[in-house]
Amino acid sequence: MKTVVIGAGLAGLVAATRLAQEGADVVLATKGLGGLPTSQGTIDVWGYRDGKRVEAPLDAVAAAPAGHPYAAIGVGAVKDGLAWLAEHLPDWLTGDAAANVWLPTAVGALRPTCLCQPGMLAGAGATRVVIVGLARLKDFQAALIAGNLTRTGRVEARAITIDIPARSGEADSSALTYARAADEPGFAAHLAAAIAPSLGSGEAVGLPAILGLHTPGVGRDLADRLGHPVFEIPLPPPSVAGLRLNDALTTLAKAAGVRVILGSPVTGLKAEGDRVRSVTLASAGHDRDLVADVFVLATGGFETGALALDSYGTVTETALGLPVRVPDGDLIGADYWEAQPLFAAGCAVDVSMRVLDAGGAVVHPNLYAIGGVLAGAQRWKEKSGDGIAVGSAMKAVAAIMGGER
Amino acid sequence: MSLDFAGHEFARASLDHCVKCTICETQCPVAAVTPAYPGPKYIGPQAERFRHGLSVDHSLDYCSSCGICTLSCPQGVKIAELNSQARAVMKADHMPLRDQLISRTTVMGMFMTPVAPLANMALGISPLRVIVEKTVGVHRHAPMPHACSQSFMSWWKKRPEKPEGPRGVVVFFHGCAGGYFEVETSKKTIEVLEHLGFKVLVPKQGCCGLAEQSNGLFDRASASVLKLCDDLRAAGKDLTIISSSGSCTGMLKHEAHEIMGVSDERLRDVGTRVRDVMEFLWELHEAGELPEDFPRIDLTVPYHAPCQLKSQGMGMPALDVLGLIPGLTVVESGRACCGIAGTYGLKREKYAVAQAVGKPLFDMVRATNPHLALCDTETCRWQISQSSGVPTVHPISLVHVAYGLSELRQLIPAGA
Ligand SMILES: Cc1cc2nc3c(=O)[nH]c(=O)nc-3n(C[C@H](O)[C@H](O)[C@H](O)COP(=O)(O)OP(=O)(O)OC[C@H]3O[C@@H](n4cnc5c(N)ncnc54)[C@H](O)[C@@H]3O)c2cc1C
Repeated sequence: MKTVVIGAGLAGLVAATRLAQEGADVVLATKGLGGLPTSQGTIDVWGYRDGKRVEAPLDAVAAAPAGHPYAAIGVGAVKDGLAWLAEHLPDWLTGDAAANVWLPTAVGALRPTCLCQPGMLAGAGATRVVIVGLARLKDFQAALIAGNLTRTGRVEARAITIDIPARSGEADSSALTYARAADEPGFAAHLAAAIAPSLGSGEAVGLPAILGLHTPGVGRDLADRLGHPVFEIPLPPPSVAGLRLNDALTTLAKAAGVRVILGSPVTGLKAEGDRVRSVTLASAGHDRDLVADVFVLATGGFETGALALDSYGTVTETALGLPVRVPDGDLIGADYWEAQPLFAAGCAVDVSMRVLDAGGAVVHPNLYAIGGVLAGAQRWKEKSGDGIAVGSAMKAVAAIMGGER
Repeated sequence: MSLDFAGHEFARASLDHCVKCTICETQCPVAAVTPAYPGPKYIGPQAERFRHGLSVDHSLDYCSSCGICTLSCPQGVKIAELNSQARAVMKADHMPLRDQLISRTTVMGMFMTPVAPLANMALGISPLRVIVEKTVGVHRHAPMPHACSQSFMSWWKKRPEKPEGPRGVVVFFHGCAGGYFEVETSKKTIEVLEHLGFKVLVPKQGCCGLAEQSNGLFDRASASVLKLCDDLRAAGKDLTIISSSGSCTGMLKHEAHEIMGVSDERLRDVGTRVRDVMEFLWELHEAGELPEDFPRIDLTVPYHAPCQLKSQGMGMPALDVLGLIPGLTVVESGRACCGIAGTYGLKREKYAVAQAVGKPLFDMVRATNPHLALCDTETCRWQISQSSGVPTVHPISLVHVAYGLSELRQLIPAGA
């Protein structure tokens, strides 16, 4: 079976790899990298509901209201997706799908997530911590983080700052430059030597997530040297933690035989009867038709331009011109931090992830939509985007390979 | 000179799409190896806001123009294009002689071909190279093309004309390197096309201007590319144009338009008709028109997709096509860039950076097969061959073998 997956975010990468593992011929066409390199490198399933913290994310999924993507995806596919990720990325993801953990953030808040990186885990539940800042890394302010963590009332935190250069001749290095330095042998020993004198007994050590870009175990090495638990705190982009997942999933996709076409947008489709025959790829020089049996749209939301809002208030799906479901009433509310109806706009799908029109009929029997392009969620506010991406990818692949076309 | 040419309007219009996500910074191979280059977001969309048509930052010159930033940008910002344009402005009033010389690929070829043994010998003499480094600024260890004693065109002209093939007529675009230095690649491409039943036309043709463009000589480059379009169009209307020079193909498809703002019907016509040879073969495969009764070739080879091929946004057709040959395992390098970036890695002050950029690739190539590597563009092949010590050929060479037009032992020495 020939398949084309459009978009290389979490949803597209998982769907493409799964399809290839199931024996399909897969082209993954994407105009750019997806959202993973800007993410926290964790897998959120459901973090907040009605302003309250969610303890058991799968229970929340099971209770999703009609119209929410999880209502179509179901608990089974989310569970399968989490298990698949943990199995395929053992170096980078761990956790109990049934319970959320609370991890310190780069502003010193405690954030709920479901799967996290092994090197972050010691941050969950630590009560006495030292936050270690690096003088040349401006995206990680140890005093701010320690102060805010202490204000949560759950943690007693203090800050220290050490100065270890990532490379010579640079006064202002990015987290990525540090992570590349930490991939080299010897870096953990330098860190340990600088940190050890400041530690008191029983303290856990919090560092920016720079402990190796592609080398797992740097954090463990450091913890062994210090004799203290060590945990990483993910940073804003360039997010090393997010890049680890992006790179590992991309490598997995290619190893499974996925053919990746990077750098060209998909701009339309050609149908034959109600079936999609091909999608149009606007590559340099000339358009090309990617012909396949099945197509999976994984283009993300407004943040990637997959959805667009014009000055008349009309929302469109930009790659294939599919119908979109838009909430009634005002799309943008006055309070920036509240849920915005606009973000619930997107494609409506059936339980196989096939796109539906306004009347609830399947638009094309061989066209599926997954991830951020789906209607009905406030992904950033619920902290549900990752789970929706993975769950919908699993659900669509099961439907495709099960022959539900 | 200020930034007021048409291509700049186009690239600048993409600037406000930058959301500062830093994805380009994470992919940039130059920023990864030197603090001298602060990264594509800094130098591109960020610095651009302060330029007001002028140039503000000399670290810009450390951008190698590999284009990986533009390729990976999720928002479609023309980062590499903005950088190339700003650099053209920066260098406009004091263009180094060196950059003017090394961008004249055709001239180099024309001078070297008649005296090939001499030219190759001269380039092999280290005291001479030291002098060249000191006076001109081309690094003494930088890879140099190997001159051939017969140019592609003189081979072509001496060849008896083939009858019209059953599959119709195509045009071959050899590119400067394919005309003077990488003559074997051009010959093999033509032989494969003829084997498939095409009649190949080769009009007299000049340079696409890519090296001039990447050195900021936009006026010359624009004239070169349009002259080339006239040359290629003279061969016939609507014919597919096929090339084994991956980077020159990119110049015709999009770079001349997107970087220099050349908006001309002739360029549009040629740009939509031109195909990289591996892309062309894959299109035949997709249409069910490629004979695929290949014999087994038991071999594992590394393949590096050059930046200028990747930036054409068509995936990696060489991998796809070679994947049809049973027994052959082609391992994609997965490395960003070989470092040379056209003429960047030749320059005295950039040589070390280019070597550091390419190092992970050279290591991978040596570890995968110490006797043979594959890559689609000429300067990248020279860089990989020279720096890894592994002979590197165009992927068409293996297709040539698979169709029985040559033997594997011509690529890999016996006993290896
Ligand atoms: C500010 C912000 C904060 C967020 N915070 C959280 C959070 O804390 N927790 C959480 O769970 N979720 C969060 N989300 C949501 C989460 O980021 C997304 O749900 C998730 O990244 C979606 O993954 P995806 O694979 O569907 O799309 P993306 O990762 O966005 O990938 C889309 C892909 O499609 C490609 N593409 C787009 N258009 C085309 C086209 N026409 N042709 C070809 N390719 C195309 C893009 O280049 C990209 O590769 C947040 C979102 C935002 C905007």
